[in-house]
Amino acid sequence: MEPPGNIETESRKQLVALLTQHQRRIFAYIYTLVHDRTDAEDILQETNLIICEKFHEFEPGTDFVAWACQIAYWRGRYARPKFARAKVIFHQELVDALAQTAAEMQHELDDRHVALSRCLEKLPHRDRELVLTRYEPGSGVPEAARRSGRSLEAAYKALGRIRKLLLDCVSHQLATGGVS
Amino acid sequence: MNLSDKEILELNELCNALVDGRLSSGQQLRLSRWLASSEEARQFYVRHVDLSASLCAYAGEMQSEAPQADAARSKVIHYLWFWLAPLAAAACVALVLWLKHQSGDRARIEPKPEEHVARLTGSSKCQWASGAVPIRSGDGLSKGQILDLAQGFAELTFDSGAQIVLEGPASLQLDSAWTATLRHGRLKANVPAEAMGFRISNPAVEVVDLGTEFSMVADGSGSADVLVLKGMIEASPRDSAEQRTIVLHENQSRHFARSGMSKVSDPEQTFALLNGPVTLDHFAAASAWHHWSFDEPDGAQIKADSLGLPLPAYDARVEEASEAILPALRVQGRSQLAFRFNGHLFARADFSGLSSASPHTVACWLKIPEDVHLPNAYAMFAWAVSSKKLGSHPVHIGWNRNPAEGTLGVLRTDYGGGFALGATPLRDGRWHHIAIVFSPDPDPDSNVDVRQYVDGRFEGEGKPSPPGTEISAKFSNPQASGVSDVLFLGCRIGADGPRKDRFRGEIDELWVADGALGPREIVELMKFNKPPQTEVASAKK
Repeated sequence: MEPPGNIETESRKQLVALLTQHQRRIFAYIYTLVHDRTDAEDILQETNLIICEKFHEFEPGTDFVAWACQIAYWRGRYARPKFARAKVIFHQELVDALAQTAAEMQHELDDRHVALSRCLEKLPHRDRELVLTRYEPGSGVPEAARRSGRSLEAAYKALGRIRKLLLDCVSHQLATGGVS
Repeated sequence: MNLSDKEILELNELCNALVDGRLSSGQQLRLSRWLASSEEARQFYVRHVDLSASLCAYAGEMQSEAPQADAARSKVIHYLWFWLAPLAAAACVALVLWLKHQSGDRARIEPKPEEHVARLTGSSKCQWASGAVPIRSGDGLSKGQILDLAQGFAELTFDSGAQIVLEGPASLQLDSAWTATLRHGRLKANVPAEAMGFRISNPAVEVVDLGTEFSMVADGSGSADVLVLKGMIEASPRDSAEQRTIVLHENQSRHFARSGMSKVSDPEQTFALLNGPVTLDHFAAASAWHHWSFDEPDGAQIKADSLGLPLPAYDARVEEASEAILPALRVQGRSQLAFRFNGHLFARADFSGLSSASPHTVACWLKIPEDVHLPNAYAMFAWAVSSKKLGSHPVHIGWNRNPAEGTLGVLRTDYGGGFALGATPLRDGRWHHIAIVFSPDPDPDSNVDVRQYVDGRFEGEGKPSPPGTEISAKFSNPQASGVSDVLFLGCRIGADGPRKDRFRGEIDELWVADGALGPREIVELMKFNKPPQTEVASAKK
């Protein structure tokens, strides 16, 4: 029988590995439900805390992402009143439906994430700079517009066009077997 | 049923508006109904929003990528480093808390560091709404903070240099150093050339400054008046039906509402009201100034002046340079003479109190040759700082030599726990004015807030160092190694004092103030080469 200290150390290692490996997926799931980066990051922080606290309840070998997303879902639901002043907030039934759809699409979304890196490489340099600046931590559309020398309105339009290009490119990659 | 091309385009537009925070109430209703009734629409939505989540990841990865990443690092650590950089703190805090919890400690959640984007720089008969935390002159104002002013006037200076006078009752949200949202009430914005592009929005309109002074009056029910006092602005109605951007010039005004644009009622009276004088009590950012003009024609001594409080003058002395070459190091400067650091020598000045974790601003003119090499990036200025959280550690101001972390040659400040990068490459053989503002948080456990200005323009604020690289060196005994309370010019410092990395370039008109200067004061210092407070008593040696 292993000493308790070793079991605890192994458990910590496993927690770090799982949290690290799946952080993006958990964040993406939350972001789908709250569609605001700051709110999503806040919920992710709180979700991480709960995952750490409740990790002893996680059964090794089961789906960690599904377990973590359940925690994230309830954390988001609990925090809902906090975001009541947000500009856009969907009613809870719709959030539930979106959560269900997002959970069912997890594997496809993983593939899309991988394919996206190839599509980003295909973008013209100016477009890639604009879209990556837009999504840099602490940045946004005004900053991306400023750095690229575009007017704000032009930046919004360009970003809309680039996102559509990327969506189409990713779908094409998946359809043609670019990603297994 | 498959979505038609037309439906996909419309859904794409709605999702774009959503992720960019521009969804109108009509669009929100349309999107909600659509998503509620169609699984295909939900799938499109999930793919679209997930694309943004992935772009957050890739952009974060690009921003925090480290140049000397050890290729042998495990994939897990690599992944943690590149993608989690902005989010890793949360996981790490969580893990630390969990480990503490496991060991029986009662842990508390570490608060997120506050990112200051503006400062309250003036006020008159200011009363904050009941329940609001009172704000005093000089206080830093955080990103996302909402100011509810019950009455009186409050002057806010954003880190970009834009200045707003808010007239109570009013409510303003600070979105960043470049953006704010007027929820209701009246404001007057003065935006210097350095802050061109500053933006104020409300539900009815978004105003982008084109170098101007303008006013916005929002009634809280979704409509607003915009009046241009000087220069011009670009105004974009937020209503989906009328997204035409218009340019308004001096003395022009417009009323924006959900129903569309119209004339402002009684603009003459409103303009007269806005042009009325308001006397504000202003906050003085600094009380003591030290100045090195570098105007001596030769010799190893660099004389200092001190202004403000009765203070000693901290003369600097050139080290590791022969007497013979000293005259050749005095060159034509931005103002009279400047000092040329040749890549081999350095200078040092005893500077009492410099190593304490207190606010400081360092500003000077700088000329770096185009052909300067990477080893000469370290450092224009260096000193040791002691803090409760990080112990004794160096602060280095130089130019960026690490292309993976930012543009090569831009202003770079490394300090305990973080670094700041500018945007203007400095290696062009031209004079540039730089200013770096250090504002330690009153909480000794928090990091210092650092802001950089190049040629008067806000360029880069401090951000946390990548995990594991927080501090490049630590001084176990700074007094013994001779780095405590010493300002070093032209070299990097380590645990044993000055290192062999030396700066090459010219420096002129160096100022060190004992406070965190605002953008306006920095521009004034740049333009007039004297402290903005003209009433300070001179204590020239």
